[in-house]
Amino acid sequence: MNHIAIGEKGEKSAADFLKKRGYNIVATQYRTKTGEIDIIAKDKDCLVFIEVKTRSSTLYGFPAEAVNYKKQRKIINTALCFLKQQGIHDSACRFDILEVYLQRDTIQYNHIINAFGD
Amino acid sequence: MFAQTFGSTTLGLNGIRITVEVDITNGIPAFDIVGLPDASVRESRERVRAAIKNSGFEFPARRITVNLAPADIKKDSSGLDLPIAVGILAASGQVKSLNCRSQVFAGELSLEGRLRAISGILSMAANCKENNITEMIVAPENVQEALLAGNVTVYSMESLREVVAHLNGEKLLLPAVSQLPEVQPSQSELGFEDVQGQIVAKRALEIAAAGFHNVMMVGPPGSGKTMLARRIPSILPAMTAQEALEVTKIYSVAGMLKHNIGLVSNRPFRSPHHTVSSAGMIGGGSTPRPGEVTLSHNGVLFLDELPEFPRTVLEVLRQPLEDGEVTISRVNATLSYPAKIMLIAALNPCPCGFSSDPTRECTCTIGDIRRYQKKMSGPLLDRLDIKIHVPRLEYNDLVKNTAQESSTVIRQRVEAARSIQYKRLQGFGLYANAQMEHNHIKKLCKLTPDSTVLLKQAFIKMNLSARGYDRIIKVAQTIADLDAKEQIEANHIAEAIQFRSDFQTISRK
Repeated sequence: MNHIAIGEKGEKSAADFLKKRGYNIVATQYRTKTGEIDIIAKDKDCLVFIEVKTRSSTLYGFPAEAVNYKKQRKIINTALCFLKQQGIHDSACRFDILEVYLQRDTIQYNHIINAFGD
Repeated sequence: MFAQTFGSTTLGLNGIRITVEVDITNGIPAFDIVGLPDASVRESRERVRAAIKNSGFEFPARRITVNLAPADIKKDSSGLDLPIAVGILAASGQVKSLNCRSQVFAGELSLEGRLRAISGILSMAANCKENNITEMIVAPENVQEALLAGNVTVYSMESLREVVAHLNGEKLLLPAVSQLPEVQPSQSELGFEDVQGQIVAKRALEIAAAGFHNVMMVGPPGSGKTMLARRIPSILPAMTAQEALEVTKIYSVAGMLKHNIGLVSNRPFRSPHHTVSSAGMIGGGSTPRPGEVTLSHNGVLFLDELPEFPRTVLEVLRQPLEDGEVTISRVNATLSYPAKIMLIAALNPCPCGFSSDPTRECTCTIGDIRRYQKKMSGPLLDRLDIKIHVPRLEYNDLVKNTAQESSTVIRQRVEAARSIQYKRLQGFGLYANAQMEHNHIKKLCKLTPDSTVLLKQAFIKMNLSARGYDRIIKVAQTIADLDAKEQIEANHIAEAIQFRSDFQTISRK
């Protein structure tokens, strides 16, 4: 499995995980010039932008560590684009990181709520 | 949602009430502090965030804007952590926002949510009184200091959780009560009983202590100048309540007050090293902070090896010595700090140190000595009321075991003289002879006919300046006070004149 396939598998299972948790998926792989947001979902009234990071081993650090300042700015700017496009002006927002650990036959999740902000 | 609380910061020695406004709205989560915070206040974001979370409250994942008003004053107190945290909790509905508008919060937060002591509490508490705020919430270590201001109800809180429980009425705390230990100057270790001989120097220092006069001691190395100077605090009169309050305020703002001590009861004794900068001496920084002259307010500033100080540093002393306060202008603020000091200077007569010694040969050339003495300008020397020579001790004096007068005895005489001065000067807001201006001298100092004649002769013979003339009268007045005489008599004037011999005379003795 190459790294793109790992990522896609992780994002798919992440969406399922969120649905089970009661989130409504609004969009996946939302793309603009400024970047990409893996999953946009609604948790009750709060709009949640989720970055999914999948790893099959922690040899190269934890998944969340890869979401550095530059990546955060990208996600925030993309989120602003989304809000503008949808004409949403006054909604609570949140940025989460969902770590997905792919093991041989199990998948583990670590959901970091409100991981970063402006 | 919006909430408002009050915090406080200091500018110079004054507290300033800061209105902390917190607004929480929807949008991309963010936490901004506006209103000219300095680095320590901007960093409070991280402390506040952690403290709220770790105290078991919810840190709202929304757009938080904190405004510190008035917006044109630089805020540099970490004590704003607490009002910001309470404001956020109030704006997010976790604290009843009506209950946190009538008090000033002042405390730094630990990541765990505990309250830490901050500096400048006394000034902040005094400012509460002016703004008609009657309640203050501070860290336990700051309580006694806050209570010194009087008329303010102070609550001692351990943690953010305790503050919230109190504000919500879940667990009300009682106001703190003052438990100051009786103000008593601790007896200084060093006393004049250790000093053999040096009768003239001891007498001069007694007069200086009684009238708060500046002193210059000249003598060869090892003759005991430093030893004498270090013993001056032991004969200074105890501070009045007002003086102690002034000193406490300065030390509080400078962050040098020991917590839970309350009032500073000992007169300051500062002895800066001669590598001190001008800013270190009179105060400085982009928002000026107090320097050595202010830290020795109502006490002693001892400059050992006076000519080793950079000339610029000595010259900046001229204005504070004359005015008793120092005004520092910088980009951010122009501030005045009090600086009523007793300057004690010690120096050698020449670079090798022996030009005044009867037995040892001086190895300096005339040029060396001139260069050495030129370090101190005439105007500075003119401001030193008492100049004495401290000779090297003879062997017999040194090993003699005669009991010397103890500091306690000398201090009793000093205090008696000082109380005469208080009575005389009360109406003018002064408390020692050295602080009299020309008009006070004219009004208050009465000379006998003999002493008037003597003073006139001295004025002509010694080429005195107007300031020199005034200063002789001031010293003579102190001597008369020590003598418990109503009028300044000829022998008082004579002694004062003798203390005013110029530097050249002393160093050639």
